[in-house]
Formats: sequence, structure tokens, C-alpha cells
Amino acid sequence: MPGKELSDPCVDCRDAEAILTLRRRRLCKDCYIKFVSYKVFKRMENYRLNRGFAKDKPCKLLFPLSYGLSSSVLLHMLHDQLEVQRSKVHGSPGFDLHVLIIEPSTISPSNPAHDEGFELAQKCFPLCSFTKVPFHSIFALVPDIKETMSQFAGKGFEDDPSLSDAERLNAFRSCIATSTSKADVDHILMNRLIVAFAKQMDCQAIIWGDSDSRLAAKTLANVAKGRGSSVIWQVSDGMSPFGLEFNFPLRDLFTAELRDYASFFPELTKLIVPDEPLPANTLTKNLSIDELMMRYVLTQGEKYPGVMLNVTRTANKLDVSQMPANLSHCTFCAAPLMNEVGGGHTQFCYACARSRPSTSS
Amino acid sequence: MAPSPCFHCQTNRAVIIRPKNREKLCRTCFINVFETEVHETITSTSLFYPGERVAIGASGGKDSTVLASVLKTLNERYNYGLDLCLLSIDEGIKGYRDDSLETVKRNAEQYEMPLEIVGYDELYGWTMDQVVAQVGKKGNCTYCGVFRRQALDRGAARLGIKHVVTGHNADDVAETVMMNLLRGDLPRLSRGTSIVTDSAASDIKRSKPLKYAYEKEIVLYAHHKQLDYFSTECIYSPEAFRGSARTLIKDLEKIRPSSILDIVKSGEDMAELVPAEIKGKACARAADDESTGGCGSQNGRTRGGEMAEMEKKLADDEAAESREVEIKLPAQSVPLPRKKQNKGIKGSTQKTIKTQTMGTCERCGYISSQKICKACTLLEGLNKNRPKTAIEVGVGLEDEESSSTLMRQMERVQLGG
Repeated sequence: MPGKELSDPCVDCRDAEAILTLRRRRLCKDCYIKFVSYKVFKRMENYRLNRGFAKDKPCKLLFPLSYGLSSSVLLHMLHDQLEVQRSKVHGSPGFDLHVLIIEPSTISPSNPAHDEGFELAQKCFPLCSFTKVPFHSIFALVPDIKETMSQFAGKGFEDDPSLSDAERLNAFRSCIATSTSKADVDHILMNRLIVAFAKQMDCQAIIWGDSDSRLAAKTLANVAKGRGSSVIWQVSDGMSPFGLEFNFPLRDLFTAELRDYASFFPELTKLIVPDEPLPANTLTKNLSIDELMMRYVLTQGEKYPGVMLNVTRTANKLDVSQMPANLSHCTFCAAPLMNEVGGGHTQFCYACARSRPSTSS
Repeated sequence: MAPSPCFHCQTNRAVIIRPKNREKLCRTCFINVFETEVHETITSTSLFYPGERVAIGASGGKDSTVLASVLKTLNERYNYGLDLCLLSIDEGIKGYRDDSLETVKRNAEQYEMPLEIVGYDELYGWTMDQVVAQVGKKGNCTYCGVFRRQALDRGAARLGIKHVVTGHNADDVAETVMMNLLRGDLPRLSRGTSIVTDSAASDIKRSKPLKYAYEKEIVLYAHHKQLDYFSTECIYSPEAFRGSARTLIKDLEKIRPSSILDIVKSGEDMAELVPAEIKGKACARAADDESTGGCGSQNGRTRGGEMAEMEKKLADDEAAESREVEIKLPAQSVPLPRKKQNKGIKGSTQKTIKTQTMGTCERCGYISSQKICKACTLLEGLNKNRPKTAIEVGVGLEDEESSSTLMRQMERVQLGG
């Protein structure tokens, strides 16, 4: 039988017309999906094969979903892995995935509630379990956070127990002065909420959906905010100071590849709430450091995507075991207190102190 | 609007908003605060010992001029007992270094310090102008950086001095942290933030007492003390990674003025987390420091060559890796222990680094881990082609400019063909 006449055959299967260029190679849709998914498949190996975890039951993983491009795409890929895993009769127990959504409208009133997204996600990914919590559930999940917040905010903030949790959280968040500090504090609070929830659910690890550009921007932003010592667990796979593993399976993929992947699945297009584009005409000084770094990584990433990806890889090479033993930890962000001025007498780390209302600039 | 009083003395009128923390200060208090902070840096790190002879690497620019002025003041005020002198390098760049050297000569008189000038032409037989005429503007900072490192050491050795202080400021250090992150250069990340860079490789110690001083405050200090400095930037092209990092840091400073110090702090913490094997390497390689770092006097002008080169290399590596994955695919059912072993080997090959033994260069006697030091290697390349440019020695700057333009045009023709 003569082969099909293909004008631009896929370089992998040679059996279909190539439709996309992936890292200088022309591929068809199926091979594209295969290549991209394989990068994540490799990253999940330890959980899939229960390495370092109990072999007789699935390992429990928590997956925070933001409805953004990268976390939605990652969930889609992980669900595919779950389908394969469940179809095997004698396979290893693999992993279970619990999806946590912090209700977007409770993070910022400008975010849509996206209730249809919650329903859609449950329908599309039936092998996962789901929980949706409001941001202010942090008070219930992290009992001592109220006290920490009061100490963190200092004199400028009076906690009013007669208010609802939502109002109390908003009151605290609004006493943080600059956009950089606000973004920083919000990130820490969400992190603590997610970690506390994962512990409550007995999860062994948290799977983060950060894209390559977010990881690079996070690395640079953390360095710029004085969080050099905690960069390592913010962007690297491994044990976090919370006693849970953190894993970032999308680290080897470019955002453009995630966008292509999402375009192949109509259900993903419906689920994803597109990122608000960074306003191009905002004055630099009005951006937060996180936004500035994201903008830097995205603009530089157009020309030098590999250099940006390499930033994260460089941070990954840092070695936590070099950290002096017996360091106390920041009560707000949990980072080890390294080289602090004033020795071990401070409660908050150098970087958290920068974001505190009294000292934030 | 009523003038605000100085935040410190509450009596004089504030005329300066401190770039570091936006405090409003009067002239006297600002100068005082600036000097005290440098003093604190010096004492907290025990930078000097009484009676130490110290050479100030002086370029005539704002940083080294302020450094000379502050060190003279502090030396007298706090009785450091230092024997200070100025050490200048003449790279041989017309329209830049010849003028700035005049400034250094005036500084030497103003501060009553002896001055030693070491020229690239006397050390290497090449001025930077000649080097640029030969190699073009691309990559000339590499030559300059390698040559400068040796020249400073040799100048200090000539004076019998074991400690050279340089005018690197907080902005420079922050820039280096960011640049090394972008370049993925862990060895430099591990040593770039330390105030003293001495090593087994050289018996001359380098330090940067202005490590925590903001560039903007250095300019203010120079302005309010009416110091005599030279403000033209080097006319040759900067390095792209540094340019990109510099732009980023200027933006960060606008958002949060403390960012520069915060980056320095992050850099110091990260330096401790650099894996031990790489740290060892960093120490052994300190002799080659600045070999590709350039002189730090660039102005954020980006040419992009180095970044594009690295991008290409990373993409090539990636492509090679993806081909490798394809071959490995059918072998997925390999038993587990072997794969684990594989992984172990892969991890360790990344980390094994040849330890370097320091010796001396066979040609010039300068300390080097190689048989022939970097400067001599570069010189060999230059000298091979010497006849071509020998006739150009002594031509004016304009001619050289056009000749390097011509060379670039030739390159383009060659590439096009």
C-alpha cells in the first residue's frame, strides 16, 4: 500500500500532517499532546510509582486550581494520568488528586465567581475530588493566624472580633500599604491556607500549577523582595518548611505550549479564566514587584525563553542542606531566619518586615 | 508649602530626600549619615587593620572619588591608621581614560595621596583602542576585564600593597546578583556579594567598602561635598546581561527603594546555599574574576548578543535532550533499581567539578589555574594578527571608529555570503 501523500509530515509519527512547530520540530496534534504531556508525566513519576511513599495505598496529593491557563492545563494532564492509572488492574496504587479552589471572588471583588467553572471542572475531571473555600477560611484552617496578623500589622490595625471573618480579613489586607506588599502578603496568606488545608486532608504533597514564566518571575521577584533564602522551596521540587512536599510539574514547558495544548480541548477553553493582561501604560512605579517581574519575564521571554527558563533552573541548583541547622522560622511566612539583623530575636523575617505596614515603603 | 525640617536634627531645612528610605535630611546630616554607614560597614566586617597600606582603585569616576574622599575622612575621624594611596589603570581609551586620569591626578593632590598609574600598553603592549581596532567592539569588554584584574594586582604588587579597595556600590552588587541569576552562573553568585574577595589564588585582597551605598546617594554625596569627578561612561559597548539587569534594578528601585538592599540580602543568603562543590570552585577561580564581568561602568545600553548566544545554546541543549528522550522511550520497562542508579549518576556528573590547582602562568608568572593565564592567551590571539593593525597604531579615534565599522561591514558580508 502506498503511503499517504503528506506535504508536511509530522516528524514523530510520519503519519499525519504537521500542524505546529514545537521546539523547531514540526508535529501533528496528537504527537504534540504526547510530547507536552510526557514532560509532566516524567515529573509525576515518584507519585505514580509511589516512590518514597506507602506502597499499599494511593499517595494523596493536593492540587490548588486557580482557573488560570497553567493550572487548568495541568489538571487536564493529571486527570489523563489518573485515567490510565485506574484502568490498570495490577498497577501500583499511584496517586489520588484532591482539587482545592479558593473562591476567586473572595480574593478580589473584581474576580468573577465562576460557579459554572466549578461545576464544569467536576464534570470534566470525575476522578478527582473537589473543595471550594473562601479566602477567609484561613481563620478556621490556621487558628493562630489572627494573632500573627495583629502582630504583623502593628499599631495601625485593630482587629475587631465582632466583624465577620470576611470583613476581618479585608480589614487586615487593606492596612498593607503598597501594591508590592499587598501582593506579597496575599501570596503568603494563600500559601498558608493551602498548606493547612493539605495537612487537614492528610495530603503528602502539593502539586502547583505554576507555569515556566511564573516560576521565573517568582524567582526574580523573591530575590528582589529579599526572600533569597526561601526562593528554593518556592520554585523547586522537594520538601517545604511546612513538612509537605512541593512539586511544580510544568517547569519544563513554555507558556506558549500550554496555550496550544489548551486550544485542542474545548472544555479547557470554557474552564480557563484568561489572565487579565498587564496594563501596558501603567507607570512602572505603580506596579507591584511581582507584576514588574512578570512583565519582564514575558517581554524578555519573547526573545529569550530559554534564558528565562534557566533562571528557575539556577535557583533549583541551590542546596537547602547548606542552610545552618536549628534556625527559627518566620511566624508569618515560615521562612528560616537566615542572617537576620538582631540575631534570633525577631519574629518576622527580613522580607516580611519589609511588607509590614509600619516599615513598608 | 512650608519647608520641612531635617528628620535627624529637626533644626536645619531638609534639602535631600534620601533615595534609600525617603527620609528628608539637611546637607550636614546626609553627609554624616552616609559616612557613618560606610564606617559601620567597615567596622562590622573588620575590613582593615591599623597600619594597613591600602590602594584605592581610582578611575576618576564618582564611585572611586567618593570612596577616596570618605576613606580619607573616616581614616582621620576614627583613627583607622591607614596608609592610603590611589592606583589607576590606564586602559588606553582616548576621549575617556586620558581625561578621567587628569581627574585622578587632581584628586591625588586634593587628598594628598600618592598616585600610581599602570598602563595596558606598558603591561601588555596593547591599548584598548588598539584591541578594539583589532577585535571590533563585540567582546572587547572581556579583554578589558581580564587585563584590568591583572593590572590592578600588578600595580598593587609594584607598590608592595596587599589590599585594594574598589568603588563597587550596592547597585553594582545587586546588578551582579540579578545578572548571575539570568546567566545561571552559580560560582559567581556565591562570591559576588561578599565584601572581601580574597582567595588562595592571589595574595592581594579586594574589597568594596561602598557595598551598601546606593549609587544615587554616592552622586548626592559627591554633589554636596563638591567633589571633583569625571562623569563620562566608557565609550565601548556593555555586556547584555548586565545591561538587562541594570534596567531591571532601576525599575525595582522606583517601586520599592529598599529593593537594592533587599537584593543584596537575597544574594548573601543565596551565596550560602550554593552547593559546596561549586563554592570550592568559586574560590579557586577567583583569580579569573571579572574575566567576563566587564567593568560595571555601563549604562544599561543593551546589545543583546550574549543573551541571544546563550538562548541559542540552551535551545540546542534542549533539542539534543529531546532527541535523547526519544531514544530512551522504548526502554521504559527497565527495572527500577537500574533507573535509580542512572539517576544517581546523572546527578553526580552534574556536580563533579574538576578541582583546580593554582600555579603560575608560564609566560608572565601571574597566578593561574592553567599553564598559560587568560591574559596571555588573549594576548597570543591578538599578537598573531598584529601585523594587520600595526599600521593603525597612533591613528586618531575617528579613523579607528570607521575602521571597526568597516570590519563589522566585512563581517556582515562574510556572513551574508
